[in-house]
Formats: sequence, structure tokens, C-alpha cells
Amino acid sequence: MAMKYLEKYPRSTARGLWVIKPQWHVLKLFAKTVFHRPVTVLYPYEKEWVPDNYRGRPGLDFDKCVGCGMCARMCPTACIKIVDSEAADGKTVKRPQVNLGRCAMCGYCAEYCPVDAMTVTPEYELAEFTRFDLLYGPRRLAYDKTTEGMKVKLEVTLQSDIDNGNAERRVSVFSLDRPELTDAKCIGCKKCAKVCPVDAIQMVEKGTNEKTGKPILRPVIDEVKCISCSNCIDDCPKDALVMKEVL
Amino acid sequence: MISVVVEYTSILDFIDFNGQYVMDNAYYPFEDVYNLPFAISYGLWKIIGGALAWLINLIFPENPVSDWLMSEPVCVLLSLIIFMLIVFIVVFVCTLISLWMERKCLGRMMDRRGTMVGMKGFLQCVADGLKTFMKENTIPKKVDNMTYMWTVSLVIGVSVLLACMIPLSQRWFVVNYDSGLLIIMAFFALAPFFILVSGWSQNNKYAMIGGMRAAELMISYEVPMLIMIATTALLAGSFNIGDIVDAQYETVWYFIPQIIGFITFFFCATAESERVPFDIAEAEAELVEGWQTEYAGMKWGLIMLADYFRGYVACAMVTIMYLGGWALPIIGNGPIPEIVFLLKTWFVFFLMILVRAALGRVRPDQIVNIGWKVFMPLSVINLAVVLLLKVGGFFRWL
Amino acid sequence: MADSIAPIVAAEEKLQQQADKMETDKMWIIMGPQHPFSHGLWTLKIKVDGEICVDAEPIVGYLHRGWEKETENRTYPKIIPMADRLCYAASMTYTHLYCMTVEKALGMDIPEKAKYIRIVADEVCRINSHLMWLAAVGTDLGNLTVFLWAMREREYFLDLNVKLCGARMTTNYPRIGGVRNDTTELFDRDILRTVDRFEKALWEIIALMDDSSIIVSRMKGISYITREQAANVGLTGPAMRGCGVDFDIRRDDPYDNYDKVDFEVPVLTEGDSYARYMIRTEEMFQSCEIIRQAVKKIQALGKNAPYRVKAPSRVPAGTHFMRMEDPRGESLMYLVSDGTDKPYRLKVRSPIFTNVSSAKLQCQGVRIADVPAVLAQIDMCLGETDR
Repeated sequence: MAMKYLEKYPRSTARGLWVIKPQWHVLKLFAKTVFHRPVTVLYPYEKEWVPDNYRGRPGLDFDKCVGCGMCARMCPTACIKIVDSEAADGKTVKRPQVNLGRCAMCGYCAEYCPVDAMTVTPEYELAEFTRFDLLYGPRRLAYDKTTEGMKVKLEVTLQSDIDNGNAERRVSVFSLDRPELTDAKCIGCKKCAKVCPVDAIQMVEKGTNEKTGKPILRPVIDEVKCISCSNCIDDCPKDALVMKEVL
Repeated sequence: MISVVVEYTSILDFIDFNGQYVMDNAYYPFEDVYNLPFAISYGLWKIIGGALAWLINLIFPENPVSDWLMSEPVCVLLSLIIFMLIVFIVVFVCTLISLWMERKCLGRMMDRRGTMVGMKGFLQCVADGLKTFMKENTIPKKVDNMTYMWTVSLVIGVSVLLACMIPLSQRWFVVNYDSGLLIIMAFFALAPFFILVSGWSQNNKYAMIGGMRAAELMISYEVPMLIMIATTALLAGSFNIGDIVDAQYETVWYFIPQIIGFITFFFCATAESERVPFDIAEAEAELVEGWQTEYAGMKWGLIMLADYFRGYVACAMVTIMYLGGWALPIIGNGPIPEIVFLLKTWFVFFLMILVRAALGRVRPDQIVNIGWKVFMPLSVINLAVVLLLKVGGFFRWL
Repeated sequence: MADSIAPIVAAEEKLQQQADKMETDKMWIIMGPQHPFSHGLWTLKIKVDGEICVDAEPIVGYLHRGWEKETENRTYPKIIPMADRLCYAASMTYTHLYCMTVEKALGMDIPEKAKYIRIVADEVCRINSHLMWLAAVGTDLGNLTVFLWAMREREYFLDLNVKLCGARMTTNYPRIGGVRNDTTELFDRDILRTVDRFEKALWEIIALMDDSSIIVSRMKGISYITREQAANVGLTGPAMRGCGVDFDIRRDDPYDNYDKVDFEVPVLTEGDSYARYMIRTEEMFQSCEIIRQAVKKIQALGKNAPYRVKAPSRVPAGTHFMRMEDPRGESLMYLVSDGTDKPYRLKVRSPIFTNVSSAKLQCQGVRIADVPAVLAQIDMCLGETDR
């Protein structure tokens, strides 16, 4: 390797008032830009082309969303709030609402969405007249020109896979981690089953309580349905559920 | 004065546009030289004043006022007022065009577009003017009010006066002095004094340093400039601008014998009009806006305009002294010498823009160094060359 | 008195003697926080004796956002977008540094491909940052053309950032255990093209700067810093290498895969403003070289190579630090973790915070007109200075 610039410069100081070369370069560019257009993009009239993965405002596929709250959990600026919303069949469902006044366009919501309902969109002209207008509800978040490139995949390689020589296997984070039950702590309160957004938790009867005669309920997690959103872990009053991380 | 009350026949009695040649007027102010702007204003007054006189005569028939309005001395007096307006407006528009040119060319040199408001960006000047004129007239509390206001008015006034005094051709001038070049130089050198006082009056450190620097600049650049003006006058045998142009038409453009002088004078003129390689008086990197820091709104807008007036004057001086003024080599004066002169001036201004785009700002001590150690000897060498040529008989003695 | 500070003291005494002889009033001039020279919110007080600056005092802290305290309330992944906001010109380097710190705390080893992608992204950011600096130097020396040409070139590199990760400046790209996404097709297509075209354009800008005797004469021979003085104030980065200290973390304490790419570390012994300028300009060319080599390595690794390893959410208790060669100098992060998923303390050592304390050294004896030109060489970025 060699120095490219330091080999040629500094030029000798004996040149004194040597100012012709910069003027020649400037004149060259002038001649070029008189006939060709300058690089400036006249913004409101012309727009720069942006790729699919451009991180503008978040977009939401309403029907695909399961309301797990992963986006709200991962949002670094806490601009996402899970609100009640009316689905097409009249049921009340939970969907994210984004306060774009706070949004930092980091794309975490799209990245951490387990079902790829949250996307990034190339929409960046978001000015409104009031702060209230900056609240994007679940329906308003919809972006109808969503392409595959806007869905940010969270695919990782496991360290164990690399160690086993299976380095090319990539898996989604959401198919790995599963909550694990510490049986002694569980009181069978059914809270986990209630908060599970995909109904992956079923309360199963495991014998009866000897003192009261009531049935002992324990959650059983459907490994296929689970999207590892850790809602059950957060809502467990006795910390009986712990996320078991696969590494 | 009011001789006979003529009888009214038609409006043409008053609007006597073609009847009288402007130089036949006994009170013609430019002695025996035809002056185009005065002729235009004379004709204009013939129409305006004639219409006015006719209207007055319609309402009050056979009154003396109508005839007084159209009498020879009054015609000359009022045409002179229109003459001033015409001269100023032409210079003003020329300066605005050079301002527009700077914005566009500088933009293209920097790979951007320059101004975009209407007429390829020309209306940006109008927009800027309107904006600065509509701003509040803010005067800081602790300034020395009298000097603060007077100096800025004088800077602007001197610059406008200077710009108006540049003749555009043999027939487009305000006064035809025998020492025209010296008078222009004298007015040119006046502004830095006001800048110095203005910098002091603003009670601001940046402004004060800017004012000091302006004085510094003036001292180191006036001398070589004057030497070079004297050289040109020596070569042409006269300080009269018309004579200098004629002399160049008869021999060659003076940038050929005085190539050193041309380059040196060009840079000195750039420094004198405080343009970029030498704009230390308003160096925005260290002194916020230099001596203009405390001026706001309309005052600042006018100062900027005055800067461009001075730039225009500097270019015009280069054109007159080295590029043959309004004359073309073989054709001579041609049908519209004014346009030729302006085109040459704008070409010199383009060179200034090029220098501005390509070079950085010179440090104050370097400026003084360059002024005394480079430009001063160069101008003396130039003088020596011209003297040799003169003695060698290449240029006629007058 | 230590020998190393003797030159400073001697210089101060000499200046004092000169000043005593002159018997003129000295004047404090306050530049900033709203002044065209201060790129960002900071104040420089200079004491002038006529046109000559005899003393200078930088004042920073206008942009203090409590960054370090904020991080204590966030889980580890959530700090990554915040680390972007430390420096607007070279955001990727701080995110990279943060991720490396946490990886070191976790004892992780990240895939080869991620390392090379990080190198490429880092060097793109270095060029970005140096171009921003070049633009600032251009305006401070009174040449707006350099500013616009440098900004134009910077735009192509910001476009590369968009193609790589979808954002221009706040990239949020490195992750704990790798990078956010694999290189995209567009990025692969454009990276070498952009670098080639940039080298050509940089020669044009150099023609404006180095071949103009006005600009060279304004940088050459002013504001000397000796090796000892540089060591005393803790100068790092290009400014330090311009004083003759041959040290670059990329080469001497390599992180990621900097030991597997071949590059030169430019060092000059002049120690003046022009030397600092030349070091940075050469670094841009070296960055281009690094990018070329690293892109070749990425292509050799193939499309299916792993780029992100899953990282555990909790960091074992302990203290760790990591340092890296930021475009402006040596930046360091010190992490104290207590075993939870949030850091207990995260300390950032910003290179500019120490470099700016050399303002007094650099400004002594120069003229007012040179103060901006000299201090532009610090390459001020207030986001990381004040944190």
C-alpha cells in the first residue's frame, strides 16, 4: 500500500502566486453545468429516488397484525401505543398507534414485528398543522403500496449453529425463544392465557388441589403458535414464566 | 422669458417633439457634445411637459404657465431631472444584472443552480429589495446615532454617485471632465473612510475590526492603483476617459502593452470593491458580517447594493483602462457603443466571479504584504515598461 | 515542573513579555454560540492584542442532553438508535463502538461477514465525516466552492447509506452480534463505483485547496503543536498524527477485521494546520482502499454467509471498555453492567471533548482571521462533545 496524496503534495512553495489551476477547474465545471444540469434536485418538484428499504414512517398491515405489542416494547422513543381498534368483523382488537411527532424512524418496529405486519415505508413528507394530526392510528398507518423489500426480516444465525459447522442456517428470532414455566411458582391465574395475542397458551388441568378441591391449572404453550412476544412473561404476577433464550 | 402668448390651435403646438434639435437649445448644458440620455430626457419632457401645458391651456386658456413650461430654460432644467433619473436607472439595472450574473454564475461554478425566482432568477433581486425594505428599521441602543446613520448614507451615496459618473460611451456621460479617471478614483477611495468611522460608531468589536481592516486595505491598494491609473494616462496622454478610449482605438487595447498592469489592476480593483479574495472587511468566517454587523433591514440591503455598485465601477474602470472602453478594434464606436461597453464590463465581472469561486480569503497581513511587496513593485515595473514604450516611440505623444 | 509542559510555559512567558512591551489593551472577543464560525453550539472566547490572538478559551455544553444517563433506562438494543445521535457526521462509528463494547461484555465473536460490512460502513462514515470537515475548512478559509463540492460528494455516500440500510444519517445499522441486514444488491452494485468516482472528484477538490497558494499559505506554518503538547492535552486522531505521533488504533490495536486489510497510516511531523489537513485528506484515500479490499472479502464470503448472531438480552455483570478510531480521534465506551438487560453505567469518551481543549494551544499567536481556519481542523461535532 502506498500513500496516494502525500506522494504528490505538498507542492513546492516556490510557486508563489500560483492560483491558475483552481480557476481552471472551476471554469471547467462552469462549462459543464451550463450545458448539463447541476446536481441540485429541486426538492418540492423533483424528488430523489428512494429504495424499497428506505426508512420513512412505519406502515401497518391491519389484517396481518396480531396486536402482540412487540413494536411498542422495542420502540426506543416510546412513540407506539397499543390501542383498541375495530376490526372488519366488528370485534375489538388491539392495534398499534404511532405518534409520528416522536418517531425517530429507526425501523425497530418493522424489524421486531414477528408477523411482518409492521413495515417501513418510503413516505417521508409528514408535516401536519397540529400535533394531534401527527397521531397515526392503526387504519391511517396502512400503506397500500407495500412491497416485499419494505418488510424488514429479523433473521439471525445461532452461535451454536456456527460452532456445529451449520453456519448458513438463518432462523427468525421469533421461532426460537419460548417462555418456560417454573411449576412451583405458578398459581394458575390464567393471566398468561388472556394476554396471549395468538392464543398459544391453553390452561390445562393437572390434578386437583387437595385442600380446596379446586382443579390445578397450568399453562401449556403451543410451540408452533407462539411468536415469543413475552407478553405472558410481563403479565405473570409471580414471575413463573421466564423467556428461555436459544443461543 | 415669456415672450408672446400664442394662439391655441392643436396639441402639437405644445408637444414640439421633432421641431427642435436638442443641441439647438440655447441653454444646452453639455457645451458642444451630443449627450444621448439628455436628448432622450429632452424629448421625454417635450412630450410630458407639452401634454401638461396643453392640459393647463385647456382648462385656463391663454395662461402664461403653459408657455413658461415649454420655454427653453425650463425645458432644460426639467429634462435634467429626468436625465438624472435615466442615468441612475440604467446604472441600477446594469448593477442588478451583474448581481444576477454573480448569483447564477457562482451557482453554476459550485454545481448548484443559483437563484430561481422568476425570469431565470433575475426577480430574486426584486424580492430581496422588497424584503429588506419591508423590514423593521432597527437601530441598536448603544450606537453613536449620528455617525451610524450618516456614514452608511455616505457610503451608499458615494457609491451611487460613483456608478453614475462612469460614462457608457462618447455620448452617454454625466460630466465630461478632463480629469475623469482621477475623479472616479477619488470617489472610489472615499468610502473606506466612512467604513472606518461606521465601524467605530457601531459599538461592536466585530464592526470595529472590520472598519480597521477596510482602512488597512484601502491604504495598501490605493497607491498601486493610482500608479497604474497614472501609467494609463501617460500612455494615452490624457486623464479624460473619452481620450483614453480614443487612444486605445487608434493604437491597441492597453492590456497588450500593459499586461502586468492589467492583471495587477484587476486584483487591486477586486480588493478595492471588497470582493472575495480580499473581502477581509466583512469576512463572515471570523467577523460575523464585518463592519455591517449592526446594520439591519433596508440599510443592510442598500449597503449590499452599494457593494455591487462598487464592483460594477471597478469592472468599468478595468474596461476603460485596458479593454478599449466602448470601442471595438476595427469597427470603432459602432451603432450602440453603450452595449459594447456593458458587455465588456460584465465580462470583467465574470472574471471577478471566477476568482471569487476559485480562491479563498486572504489574511489581512498577507493582503498588506501582497499590496506593498507584490502589486506595488509590479505597478512600478508596469510604469517602467510603458515609459520605455513611450520613449521608444511606439505610442504617440500628445 | 515537568519537562513536557516547559515549552508551553516558555511560550506563555514570551507572549506575556511581548504583551508587556506593547502596552496595548487586550480585548476579549466572544465567538459563538451563534456565530458563522462555530459549526454547532459552542463558544470560543479569544483574547486579542490588536489582530493577534493571545489566549483562547473554549466553552462547550450547550448541547448537553444527558445521553449517558438516558442509556441507563433503556435495554441494550434500544441504545443503538441513540448512539446514532451522538454524532451526525459519523453516526455509524458510535453505533459500531457501542455494539463492540456490548459484544466484548458478552464475550461474543461475530461472523466474518459482519466484521467486513462494519468496516465498509465505518470507512464510508469516515469519508462522510472528513468531507463534512473539508466543507467546513473551505468556508472558514473563505472558499464556498470547496464547501459545495465536498457536500456534493458527501451526498453520494449518504446515498450509499440509504441503499445499505434505508437511512441517510441516523443509520441504526450495526447490531449487537452483527449488522441489521445483509448488503443489498443496490449497495453491492454502487459501492465500488461510488468510491472510484469519489477519488476522481477528490483530486478536483484538492486542486482547489492545495494548488491555490492563498489557501496553502493560510494553513502552512501556523498554530504549531509539538508531540509533547499533543500528548499533554490528550490530542488524538488526525490532529495527533499531524504532530508526528505514529498511532492509529485501527493498526495498533485492531478491532473487527482491520488487521486483515492492508492500509497505510499517514503521519506527518510538521505539526501545523496544513499537516492536519493533509493527514485527513490522505485518510480519505486510504479509506477508499480499505473499502475496496473489504468489499472484495465480502464478495468472497458469498451471499449466504452469516451476518448476525443472536445475542442474549442480558449482559453478565462486570466492567468492559472498547476503543476505536473515530474519524476525529480515539473514542471509547466504558460499560458497567449489573447482570440485567440495562446498563448500569455507560461512559463515552469523545475525542473532540479533549481535542477542543487544544484550542488555547492552537490559537496562541495566530491572527483573528486564522482562528476559524485553525479551529476547523478540530472538526467540531457538538453532539458527541456534550453528549
